[in-house]
Amino acid sequence: MRHVVFVLVTALVAPVCAETPGVLAVRNARIFTASGPAMERGTVVVRDGLIEAVGANVPVPADAWVIEGAGLTVYPGFTNALSAWGIPRQADTAPPGRRPVAAPLGPVARGPEDRPLNTSWVTAQELVQPGDPSIERARSGGFTSAVVFPGAGIFAGQGAWMNLAGEKAGHMVVASPLGQHLTLRTSGFTSFPGSLMGVFAYIRQVYLDADYYKASREIYAKEPRGMKRVDYDRALEGVLAAPRVLLPAVTKVELERMVRFGAELKRPVVLYGGHDAARAMEAVKASGFPVLVNLQWPERPRQADPAQEDSLRTLELREAAPAAPAALAKAGVKFAFYTGGLEKPQEIRAAAKKAVDAGLSREEAVRALTLSVAEIYGVADRAGSIEPGKIANLTIVDGDWFQERAKVRAVIVDGVKYEPAAEAEKKEEPAK
Amino acid sequence: MKTLRLLAALAAMAPGALQGADIVIQNAKILTVTRGSLEGSILISNGKIAQVGEKLMIPAGAQVVEASGRYVMPGIIDCHSHIAADAINEGSVSVSSMVGIEDVLNPEDIDIYRALAGGVTTVNVLHGSANAIGGKCSVIKTRWGKSVRELLFEGATPGIKFALGENPKRRGSTPSFGATALRYPATRMGVEDVIREAFTEARKYRAEWKAYDARKAKGERALPPRRDLKLEPLVEILEGKRFVHAHCYRADEILMLLRLADEFGFKIRTLQHVLEGYKVANEIKAHGAGASTFSDWWSYKVEAYDAIPYNAALMHKRGVLVSLNSDSAELMRHLNLEAAKAVKYGGLTEDEALALVTINPAKQLAIDSRVGSIEAGKDADLVLFDQHPLSNYSKVVKVFIDGELYFDREADEKARIKDELRKRSLEEKQKKQTPARRPA
Amino acid sequence: MKKLSMAVAGIAMAFGAAMAQDTILIRNAHIHTGAGQEIPGGFVLIQKGKIAGVGAKLAAPKGAAIIDAKGMHLYPGMIDSATAIGLTEIGAVRETNDTNELGEFNPQLRALIAVNPESEHIDVTRANGITSVMTLPAGGIISGQGSLIHLDGWTWEEMSLAPNVTIRLNFPVIAPISAGPGNRSSSGYEDARKRYEEQLDRLRLFLEEARRYEKAKRAGTTAMQSDPKFEAMLPVLTGKTPLFVFAAKERAILDVIQFARREKLKIILAGVREPGKALAEIVKDKIPVILPETHSLPLEEDDAYDSQYTLPAELHQAGVKFAFGSFDTQFSRNLPYQAAAAVAFGLPKDVALKAVTSNAAEIWGLGSQLGTIEEGKLADLILTDGDPLEARTQIRQMFIAGKPVSLESRHTRLYEKYSKRPQ
Repeated sequence: MRHVVFVLVTALVAPVCAETPGVLAVRNARIFTASGPAMERGTVVVRDGLIEAVGANVPVPADAWVIEGAGLTVYPGFTNALSAWGIPRQADTAPPGRRPVAAPLGPVARGPEDRPLNTSWVTAQELVQPGDPSIERARSGGFTSAVVFPGAGIFAGQGAWMNLAGEKAGHMVVASPLGQHLTLRTSGFTSFPGSLMGVFAYIRQVYLDADYYKASREIYAKEPRGMKRVDYDRALEGVLAAPRVLLPAVTKVELERMVRFGAELKRPVVLYGGHDAARAMEAVKASGFPVLVNLQWPERPRQADPAQEDSLRTLELREAAPAAPAALAKAGVKFAFYTGGLEKPQEIRAAAKKAVDAGLSREEAVRALTLSVAEIYGVADRAGSIEPGKIANLTIVDGDWFQERAKVRAVIVDGVKYEPAAEAEKKEEPAK
Repeated sequence: MKTLRLLAALAAMAPGALQGADIVIQNAKILTVTRGSLEGSILISNGKIAQVGEKLMIPAGAQVVEASGRYVMPGIIDCHSHIAADAINEGSVSVSSMVGIEDVLNPEDIDIYRALAGGVTTVNVLHGSANAIGGKCSVIKTRWGKSVRELLFEGATPGIKFALGENPKRRGSTPSFGATALRYPATRMGVEDVIREAFTEARKYRAEWKAYDARKAKGERALPPRRDLKLEPLVEILEGKRFVHAHCYRADEILMLLRLADEFGFKIRTLQHVLEGYKVANEIKAHGAGASTFSDWWSYKVEAYDAIPYNAALMHKRGVLVSLNSDSAELMRHLNLEAAKAVKYGGLTEDEALALVTINPAKQLAIDSRVGSIEAGKDADLVLFDQHPLSNYSKVVKVFIDGELYFDREADEKARIKDELRKRSLEEKQKKQTPARRPA
Repeated sequence: MKKLSMAVAGIAMAFGAAMAQDTILIRNAHIHTGAGQEIPGGFVLIQKGKIAGVGAKLAAPKGAAIIDAKGMHLYPGMIDSATAIGLTEIGAVRETNDTNELGEFNPQLRALIAVNPESEHIDVTRANGITSVMTLPAGGIISGQGSLIHLDGWTWEEMSLAPNVTIRLNFPVIAPISAGPGNRSSSGYEDARKRYEEQLDRLRLFLEEARRYEKAKRAGTTAMQSDPKFEAMLPVLTGKTPLFVFAAKERAILDVIQFARREKLKIILAGVREPGKALAEIVKDKIPVILPETHSLPLEEDDAYDSQYTLPAELHQAGVKFAFGSFDTQFSRNLPYQAAAAVAFGLPKDVALKAVTSNAAEIWGLGSQLGTIEEGKLADLILTDGDPLEARTQIRQMFIAGKPVSLESRHTRLYEKYSKRPQ
């Protein structure tokens, strides 16, 4: 048997792939499929961007480029469940999951009808720049994809599952739109909404208006004659297009509040934040809302006043946050991870490890970065696990990703292999 | 916060109190407020006051709270507070009736516990006074440790905040805010206009719905009107389903609002602050509005320069239903002492004074069938003091809500030690976990 | 209403009988001397504004006005050790406020000369038994000079009791915005610390310049120009005039104490709220303290709910000498209840009374003239129907420097007026 041995000879610049091989196999690797039990020794075959086969005894096709998997672990491609990766940073775009801040003043809004801080129609793919440095950094950290959301405004816009490689944003889109990203920003002192209360009232009115808009247009469409037409409202179009609503909630009070509020909206809701979930579990579980847990665990601010003691509440939240995923898993609540303000691959890994140290099993942790993300967004039919027919997104790690010294060897995105930039200089040994 | 565990401590101490067993508070000096005072006992059963009397039979299995030398009064009710909320003012617009405190209630606000420790068991949590028609309000009980749903006073009539005078016109009359920030109104005339226009709009909205309902009833094809969350509460006011709590100071604006309400056919439930209420007490009485005022605040702004501490007594003597409120997380911790000032300023009797912070605010909020006095059948919301609550030397030692012990001074003192230990151990642990960083 | 008319009637009697007289005998009063003595049914003789005698029975000098105080209690007039009475009228109206001057270092400014004797606050405060107050400026780092004034007098000169006895220092403090739960944003501590250090540097420099000025003056340097700012600092530098230093929390208080030691300055600490470990240092240096409103919220979420209520008792147990200040103008009249609240949480009653009478007098350097009912002291007295620290108690008569003063105010006048409005 002759195998084409895939040796990476790469430039230092991204994208760091060679010619796209049509067929690729990782053999004799440890495989976390996410959809089934982990395999200690197995082979994954990828063809034309899709997973062709996975199993302990899967033959390696003759035309495959082969990665020798000894010592390697293959995961479904890690996916950031809520991110702004690929969207060039703007001064006024806080990363998702950050506390709301007053947005810059636009025209003064006098009520919900002015649709302040509303760009609900904006899609992630409109904003994503394939060359944005965050994309390569994410791949270096083992991420093959991210659910990217616009982050500016109260109705920030619509998210898309983006694969983190490609010449054009359009190619990167796996599924869109996946949801409306809501934040609790205020307009500040002079413009509506100027308070958290106002934000709630605003969101509530917009969803009422959206339903009203939809119903009116349907009635009109049936018989336009004799009826005044309804004005086109792009803010409501955007709201209606999104199949689910993402609502922020970190503390117990916020989680319980959002569970109540989310139920009012009569739409699928996903909560994001989640640090205090253990204390709010009863409400969260009863709601049936999945939770996106922010991997950026709370910690004492670097610049804190040394004489300023943290409150017990603050300390308890810091203590509880990394244990929230384990608690969610135990309670049977669907959850996934997002990276919040974390950027460095090491920080992301350390944060996930903290959740494992706090009682989450590795399988569950991997799931929260892979299949659970896909399930929450309704794209598990094409992504999130290593199963035949699914998109060939794989994360290949030297050893166990949760170990500090483990290195991301490569990611495979849409069947194309990418190596971390920092490691690209090292040449791999040809397989024997 | 001491708080979550404090409850655990209480549970450990008095399991019966939390599990709904009968409780007898015995040998107490009982200030019923509505039925005089006596030395005797109170039997609590299923969270309600079952009996009050000089000698009561103690049911088998009842838990006995020995209260000799102690005074018991009804849980204090604060008709004007801003605790327990993560937002107070939606000041961007002149009419913000679409917003509501309930959306931002925070049952973990430590001020709830502090108020509880001052004997407050029921609170009217109000929107602020930045605009002529403010947001919706929530009546809560200070059930510390419970969720929002359990915090809310079941069945209390919802309210809304109005505001007259300097505050709502400030945004229109402070040039330093900048031209874009200027917001109508800038005068008391404009404040009236804003309210008038809002209710004119609300009437129209109500008519649209009525017309729609009529067409629908006839089976005609009709598009319903768009639901407007700003106007819905105003329609509720017109229909008497929502109470207006109106922040006001000067006699002229008080009269203006009463007349405007008369014209539109609704009632002002309470005038809040109402510092010049004593000047128009006759008119307030005639309209039927309650008055919820400060004991002795004055001179902090022009419209408070004619404020006098005799206001409560004067209005009370003219037949107005008067309460004393705090508008302050601190002041609400000793409203009993605010009541004592009404004995000094204007010579109210002790019962009349205590009524200002118990049964009167209960009546103003239309919850007096449940709370506000110590009578059989009412909620067992009770406060034990070590001395007469109108004495400045008194302090709260125990507070019951619905027959549950929510505050106990001794348990609080014990919990402090436990909390301190927990805090130090968490600090140590987290210090180890987070390696010291170089200063930025 | 009935009680008020009685009080008014009492005053009318006093005015009628004693207005023009400088000899008054109060008899049959329950006397609380404030100096550890209670005399039931006692007598106090007032002559020429001073207390000429205190006892179980005194003979009435010829021509003395006699006030029968049967059933009433006689206490020393109370002293509010921190207000801006006379300097401010309506909080929100800039034009009525004379407390905050421009500039950081203004030791030369004198509150006394800006006291408006017609301020409505004077009458209102007096009505609750307060006979004198320390009125202070508030702006900048060194705000100016505070004076103890009587709440009576046609001019500020007549009101003056202890003029310019202290200079207020708002000691620089690191005050970053604290981060709430879940708030990861930078606390701004570094900025706050930088600001603090810059302010501290300027304060040190100012003191150094004042010292150089003092040296030059002592050396008799002829070319020297007189400088009002530095002139005002001279009694501070020599330790004659104490600084009234505002510092609330442990770090700030420790800072202030170290600063005072280093610079060899005499200080009075004001606005103390959470002394922590600084308490021992306060005791060690025997620094008097002016305590703020007892009825205050705890500073931190985790503080005991009563942390501010118990503070006076804690200071007392540690041996600190303190007086109460309202640190307010509209609520200066609630000074007695501020003292009573501390009693509810452990402070002995007699100490609470001292903290609004004799301790205050001693801290302001008038211990020999004010604060107790003792022979030779100024006759600042109140006749009450009970304990003056209780809100239910009525003040029936007041004497300031032996003169009966009215207990009427804007408030009683409006009350009377609107009581008469037909139903």
